Order: sequence, then structure tokens, then C-alpha cells
Amino acid sequence: MSSNSTVLHALASRRVTAIFLTALALYASSVAQVLAHDVTPGDAGYIQEIWGVHVISFIYLGAKHMVTGYDHILFLLGVVFFLYRMKDVAIYVSIFALGHSVTMLAGVWFGWGINAYIIDAIIGLSVVYKALDNLGAYRKWFGFQPNTKAATLIFGLFHGTGLASKIIEYDISEDGLLWNLLAFNVGVEVGQILALFAILVVMGYWRRSERFMSQAVVANVIMVGLGLWLTVYQINGFLTAA
Amino acid sequence: MQLIEKLRDTMQLTAEKPDPALLPTPKQLRRSTIAAVIGAAFIGIGVYLPAEYGFDPTGVGNVLGLTEMGEIKQQLAREAAEDDLIHGEDQSSLMHDILGLFVSAAYAEETWQDTITFVLEPGGFTEIKATMEQGATLFYSWTSEGGRINFDLHAHAGGESVTYEKGRGQTDGEGSFVTPFAGDHGWFWRNRDDEAVTLTLQLRGDYSAIVRDE
Repeated sequence: MSSNSTVLHALASRRVTAIFLTALALYASSVAQVLAHDVTPGDAGYIQEIWGVHVISFIYLGAKHMVTGYDHILFLLGVVFFLYRMKDVAIYVSIFALGHSVTMLAGVWFGWGINAYIIDAIIGLSVVYKALDNLGAYRKWFGFQPNTKAATLIFGLFHGTGLASKIIEYDISEDGLLWNLLAFNVGVEVGQILALFAILVVMGYWRRSERFMSQAVVANVIMVGLGLWLTVYQINGFLTAA
Repeated sequence: MQLIEKLRDTMQLTAEKPDPALLPTPKQLRRSTIAAVIGAAFIGIGVYLPAEYGFDPTGVGNVLGLTEMGEIKQQLAREAAEDDLIHGEDQSSLMHDILGLFVSAAYAEETWQDTITFVLEPGGFTEIKATMEQGATLFYSWTSEGGRINFDLHAHAGGESVTYEKGRGQTDGEGSFVTPFAGDHGWFWRNRDDEAVTLTLQLRGDYSAIVRDE
């Protein structure tokens, strides 16, 4: 009986893992065209043709950047993975938004462009960190739980620096820069809310399943792997470009 | 699978099992799913298609001003493809026709060799270049009337390329450059303003001809 249930267990795990991986692969292929450094020639090209205040255009571009930014989405998924109360989701997502808004706006305004590969490698590590945190690795290894809110804020600051580096590459006209930048930031938050909504719907179905807790382990192990892959990919890009 | 079993045993999750009372009910989930599908369809058709492809079946993109973005992106994509085609083959001088019509050297200030005047309608573009040897210098001065102009001062020949200056929304400019290689060096002009723009360009330096790409 018990060996029977273990087999069923394992089969169910395998199927959900397959679905999870398929979903990720589909998402990855849909953003593959921006994988080679996020700034699609189309968006950058458009931005370099215009000047003056274009609020709605920049809201759109900000939202698009977030929704197609697989690294931001993965981190967001890690953050809300075990947050069951909407209040907690709101608190953590707001902390993340505060973090990335501060460095995004200040970064562009003061021109703190950091090498995009380096910052993207750090963002990859933020995914690794959060997934390990979800797996309880720090308690197991170091005997204590690092403050999760502080970690969300600090990694939010890094994500914002990444956003700023991309926006500097966009080369937005000085004419209307402040309003366009604020609009872009609003767009990033709109994109985050849209992505979050989709994540929470899927998580809602998943959490109702009996196997959620065991599959959650697999999912977070996969996220550690994806985060490491992103990090290595960016470091490789840095070394090739250098 | 053994690995997963082992992981499950060794990892103590930070989180606890979800309390069913906190989870959305199947009915709520169904509603959210329907809302998400409708929202995605609306964004896809009303926002994404206009902003990326300039295709705006509902007119929403036009109201939001996003259709223009899609049109510009499509135009840039077409131009990039044409550019690839041209530079994939060898440079053809067939594309060039000597611009004599607008050149009125006689009225130019003594120091300027050529004064070129032309009009660009909104969305219109043209390329004006000077044929130069390597290490030659070109001095220039230009002004626009009626609106602002975008430009890309550049050259590409024989697999080499250079960008001297790019600008957008400007009404005048002056300066000079020294050519790093022989070929046609000059401006791609585009009017992204709402009104027709009249441009006056003055040139002086070591060039053998002025060519215009349409």
C-alpha cells in the first residue's frame, strides 16, 4: 500500500514537473527574441526616433519590459511562492516595487549604468537565493532564517539597477525624459501586477492540489537551476563581450 | 524520482502547507481565469497588435497613440531588412543619382561650396551624402524651418561603417568631420514632426560630388 502510493506520488510529481517545464519552455521561447539583451531593436529604434512626453507609449514599454523580463518574473514567482494571504503578497510585492523603482529612477537620472551582464548575473543569483530560501536551505545550513523582507528589498534594488541599465541603453531623449521615465516606471508596475495576477491564478489551482507541497520542492529546485543557468549565461556573455 | 524523494526528505520547507481556508475557491479561480483570458485578449488585440505591428482592428491603439509606435517599428524593420539586402550585395552606385536640382552654389556664401534646400513631409525621409576620399574633411551647417528633424550622420562603404552624430527633434546643427575611409558620407534625414519641414544644408570641404539616395 505504502509502496503503491509512493509510485503514484512519483508519477504525479513527474507529470506536474513536465507541465511546469513545458510552461517555462513556452514562456522562454516567447521571449527568446529578446534574450540577446532584452532591448529589442524595435523598442530601442522607436525610442530613438521620438522626443517629448509620450506617457502611454512609455507605460506600454515599461509593462512589456516587465512581462517579457523572465528574470524579474522568476524572482517574483519565488517571492510569492509560499505567500498564501493576499495581504502578504501585497506587502512583499510593494517592497520589491519600492526597491526596483528607487534604483531604476535614480540610476537613469544620475546615469549609474552598470554593465548589463554583471547586473543580470546578480539578478540570476537573486532567483537562486529566493528559491533556496523557499527550500529552507539557510535554516538547514546556517541554523537561521535571514530576513525575507530585507532580502526582497535588497534584491529589488539590484533589479532596479538592471532596469536602469537597460533604459540607459534605450537612449531616451532628454526632451521629456522625466515624465517618460515616470511613465515607464508606472508601466513596470502595471506589468508586474498583470504577471502577478496570472501567477496567482495558476498557483491557486496548484495549491489546491494534494501534491502541492512535494511538487513545490521540485519546482524550487528547478528554479535554483534556472537561476544558476541565467547567472552562468550572463557571466559568459560578459566574458565574450569583454 | 529517487532524487526527488531524497530532496523532499532532506529539505525542510520554510513554508507550511496552505490552509485551505486561505485558498481561493474553485469558483473564484474559474472567475479569475475567465477575467485573465478576457484581459489577455483585450490587451493582445487592443494594445499589443497596434504597438508592435501598427495593426489596430479595434481603434483602441489609435486612441492610446500606440498605433504610431507600431508603424514606426514596422517601418524601421523594413528599412533594416532593405539595408541588409543592399549591404549584403556590393554597394551599388545605381541607387545614387547626382543631385543637381537643389544645389545652388551661386547663392551660397563665399565660404560654402553648396547650399541644398529640400522639403520633407511628416514621415518623409531622404539621404544626402558627399562622396569623399579617406582623411578628407567636410564642414557643414544646417537649419530646419516649420518643424524639427531627426538625422543620422554616417557612412558605410566596403564593409566599413561610421556614425558621426545622431539627433532627433533638432532645428539646427553645424560642425565638421574627417572621414576614416573613402565613400559617401552624410545624412539620413527623417521628419517625425507633425508639419512639413524645410531643410537648408550648407557644405564646404573636400568632396567630389553630392549624392542623394531615395
